[in-house]
Amino acid sequence: MKDLKSYLESGILEQYVLGDLSNEELLEVEKNALNYPEIRSELLEIESALLSYAMANAIEPSEALRNKVLNSLEKAESEIRPLYGASSKPGQFYKYAFAASLALLFISVILLINLNSKLNDSYTQIAVLQTGNQKFSNQVNHIDEELRDTRNALHFYQNQAAYKLVTLKGSAKAPAASMLVAFNPEEEEVMIDLSSLKMPSNDKEHQYQLWAMVDGKPVDLGVFDSEVDSTGMKKMKSIKYAQAFAVTLELRGGSANPNMDQMMAIGSI
Amino acid sequence: MALRKKEKVGVEALYDMYSSSLYGIIFRIVQHEEIAQDLLQDTFLRIWNSFSSYDASKGRLFTWMVNIARNISIDKTRSKDFRNSSKTEDIENNVLSLEMQSGNTLNPETMGLKELVAKLKPEQKIILDLVYFRGFTHAEVSEELEIPLGTVKTRLRNAIISLRKVFN
Repeated sequence: MKDLKSYLESGILEQYVLGDLSNEELLEVEKNALNYPEIRSELLEIESALLSYAMANAIEPSEALRNKVLNSLEKAESEIRPLYGASSKPGQFYKYAFAASLALLFISVILLINLNSKLNDSYTQIAVLQTGNQKFSNQVNHIDEELRDTRNALHFYQNQAAYKLVTLKGSAKAPAASMLVAFNPEEEEVMIDLSSLKMPSNDKEHQYQLWAMVDGKPVDLGVFDSEVDSTGMKKMKSIKYAQAFAVTLELRGGSANPNMDQMMAIGSI
Repeated sequence: MALRKKEKVGVEALYDMYSSSLYGIIFRIVQHEEIAQDLLQDTFLRIWNSFSSYDASKGRLFTWMVNIARNISIDKTRSKDFRNSSKTEDIENNVLSLEMQSGNTLNPETMGLKELVAKLKPEQKIILDLVYFRGFTHAEVSEELEIPLGTVKTRLRNAIISLRKVFN
């Protein structure tokens, strides 16, 4: 085509959509539409605009008319059926089925989109609630821990005489490190003083692990973190006898056997 | 039986989706409530009976249905008995008064659209309404408004372009 732009602007496509063309012109537009996607999309745009215009000018017919029309369609259908249904036009039936499915599809898509957006809203709400919940329970845990550590400290101060205080000094790996372990052999209780704890902060993958040396063998007493603002005393696993305490840096959760290369502090009773 | 039931749902869905838009067009062409109701029924009958001739590659379903409604209505306005009966009716009844008639309630969802449509230039709207709602051909509009055919085409195109802007 010589000039697509002036063809698009000639007004013939509007006439085509409005059904105001001769058969000859009509066929020509359809032929051109097949060859040029620009013409096809222009036609769709014109159709959409007029569809919106029709909707803006819609008038709701009465409910009585609805029943009348639907009844007449049903009647017409049952009259047609014996004529074509059995013999010459088996396609007749599928025509209705097709129209019905088309309409159903349309409705389903709208419902689906609607539902989907509601579902997404719900997901967002759930996520927000979960985050809030998580935050709250973290806070409770933290306060819980603090309370426990403070109670332990109180217990220690009330029964100081029963405890042996062991100062662990930093090894070559961490010369500045130091910590205080309170050991009560009678109650088989071991606590570490978090307020005076001086250890390099551990990262998320690692934790400190306290060991008791019993006849030369290390016994696990549990793990702890080094945090700047910790207070109170943390109760570790219980033990009856020990000659010394030592701290190693292990993978988070602790190990079965100490990693001697990562010995951070040690102190004998 | 099940398929029959589905068909019924399909017909109802089709009716519920499109009846108010089609009725609006038919009413504005024939400007007579009783006739418009009959024609809406005829329109749906024809849509239903000629569904196999609808070709989705040649345009939207709605456009196809609108053109059926318009053709049926325009044919009616040109029939002898319509011209006779409408002599007593006020055929120049303007569109504004249509909304006042009892039994025709406006769809509240389209109220916003109506305000947007009101922004169309009057010289564009009159041509669009003559063609779309009164069934005038371009040639008839040119005659009626005493303007050249080329101007009719241009203004109609500009009206549709304005609609595209308004609705997008």
